Amino acid sequence: MFYRRSGIRHTRYQSERQLFPLGFDRFLILSVLAVLLAAPFLFDRLYVTGYLLPWLIWSSAALGLNLLMGGAGQVHLGYGAVMAMGAYGSVHLMRFGAPLELAMIAGGLISASVGIIFGAAALRVKGIYLAMATLAMQSIVDFVISQTPAISGGALATLQAPPARFLGISLSGERETYYFALLVCAVITLFMLNVRRTSFGRALAAIREKDYAAEILGISTLRYKLMAFWVSSFIGGVVGSVLAICYLRAVSPDQFHLDLSIQILAMVIVGGLGSVLGPFFGAALVLFAPILINNALGSAFSTFGMTVPIDLRAHLPLVAYGALVIGFLLYEPYGLAKIYSNVRTYLLVWPFRHAQR
Amino acid sequence: MSSTEAPVLSCEGVELSFGGLKALKGITFSVQPGEILGLVGPNGSGKTTTVNVSTGFYRPNAGRVRLFGEDITGIKPDRIARRGVARTFQNLALFKGMSVLDNILIGRHIHMRPSALGTLFYWWWAQREELAQRRVVEDVIEFMQLQDIRDEPVEVIPLGLQKRVELARALVSEPKLLILDEPMAGMNQEEKEYIARFILDAREERGVTILIIEHHMDVVTAICDRAIVLCNGEIIAQGEPRAAIAEPAVIKAYLGERAARRVGMGDAA
Repeated sequence: MFYRRSGIRHTRYQSERQLFPLGFDRFLILSVLAVLLAAPFLFDRLYVTGYLLPWLIWSSAALGLNLLMGGAGQVHLGYGAVMAMGAYGSVHLMRFGAPLELAMIAGGLISASVGIIFGAAALRVKGIYLAMATLAMQSIVDFVISQTPAISGGALATLQAPPARFLGISLSGERETYYFALLVCAVITLFMLNVRRTSFGRALAAIREKDYAAEILGISTLRYKLMAFWVSSFIGGVVGSVLAICYLRAVSPDQFHLDLSIQILAMVIVGGLGSVLGPFFGAALVLFAPILINNALGSAFSTFGMTVPIDLRAHLPLVAYGALVIGFLLYEPYGLAKIYSNVRTYLLVWPFRHAQR
Repeated sequence: MSSTEAPVLSCEGVELSFGGLKALKGITFSVQPGEILGLVGPNGSGKTTTVNVSTGFYRPNAGRVRLFGEDITGIKPDRIARRGVARTFQNLALFKGMSVLDNILIGRHIHMRPSALGTLFYWWWAQREELAQRRVVEDVIEFMQLQDIRDEPVEVIPLGLQKRVELARALVSEPKLLILDEPMAGMNQEEKEYIARFILDAREERGVTILIIEHHMDVVTAICDRAIVLCNGEIIAQGEPRAAIAEPAVIKAYLGERAARRVGMGDAA
């Protein structure tokens, strides 16, 4: 009904393989894009820089991790470390006077080349053991960064990101920064959308599903696991540098600890493994649910006149947030994106009942 | 060995053991160009192991495997695939969560140049290749009569069709040697006849040589040019299928000593 399919007849493979064959999907995506483009003019600047900007950056990071976890089926618990390398790499390069465009790519390459070393672990171990190996990567990178003064400037030091220009436009203003993050996010999203319809993406999916069957079809598991780590780490590095230059504007080692890795991992899982929409939902939930719950509880306490001890008051939102995540994993293991797709499937044939998928 | 008439696949004294278990005790056979060779034998006789050695999944302890006269012993499966070998698996090995079409498209992998940059710049780099390969895939979809299910997720279609999709995925890579591991397991008579027809057509129209593991003796005698009977890791009979499976050693392996004696005396028709 809403997602009208009748009357759509493809006469060329090209039109069948387009990203959004349904008109309503195209309409939705364009409206969201229009809102995002107009956001700096529509909303208060506090909302744009305080909510939308981090949402875009964290979504981009989650997309990068989702290529590895949802796309190729490899667990990674050290994505924060991957981003740290990109962030520090690009900030250092920019302090030496490199332009942002170059520093960003170089940051990605640094992350990719270190990430691929840890990806090599994936050739030997799977599942929970790979999780441990990548966790070790997180600790090693954390340690090296904080203990090497040449990188971090000392264990407790903060490194200022120099003022950046992108294609000649200064990124000191909030609007410019927002549009820059939006651009990076859009490019990564386009890449992830295309992954689903190219031989590269199919090869990754084949390895995820059945590696032995992939091998006899000519897909080298060695090559493609490494490629998955390479590309995913590259994206992580680029997003890391965007995070450092656009949002944090100064880097210190504690910003990229295990907390960040777990946060992004939660976004991927709660959002929906392997989906492109998922990371956006996941990032929104993980970033904003604690704030919303906090506000809701706060107003509830004050309206009912309850006196709650301050430490309970501080921890209740976390408890509620944890319960929310567990609830999602229990009732919809494929995440928020799956809930959206269920609704979409229902509306696809509404008012009739039975959808094909 | 002259390269023109070299056998498609030949195993020469292949031995393999898992720990103390000798799974293959010196298997020697060859698959000739254009033939359909049946590989039969009781459960655990080493049929699938033979295939796994031939496709690079196991490295034999002794002996050589040759493909078109070239030694491929110990080469990885993905390399062997690029030399023109495709296979299906005993327990379906389709990629879940993908459509029938995407599953078959993966079969074209060795003819494509996948890259991450090509994926990012899809419209300029990858699209032309994707669409060209799509045409080849559509030919096979038509050949295997899968047109009406090409957009279905592969896990929702019935087993008979899943097996057909797997066969299509193997065929679409344009192999010279196609290895089928029990393509008809768990099928009803009608589905079996369909697959048998597709196998014969594949040889006829696409010129593939076929090595097939099958438990249905009616199928083996109907479509195979030759049969090899394995038992406990040894070849106990080979030749024309009807003759090969009627040999006393084969009957003994399948039905036991007494049945073999009865057949020998001409008791059972």
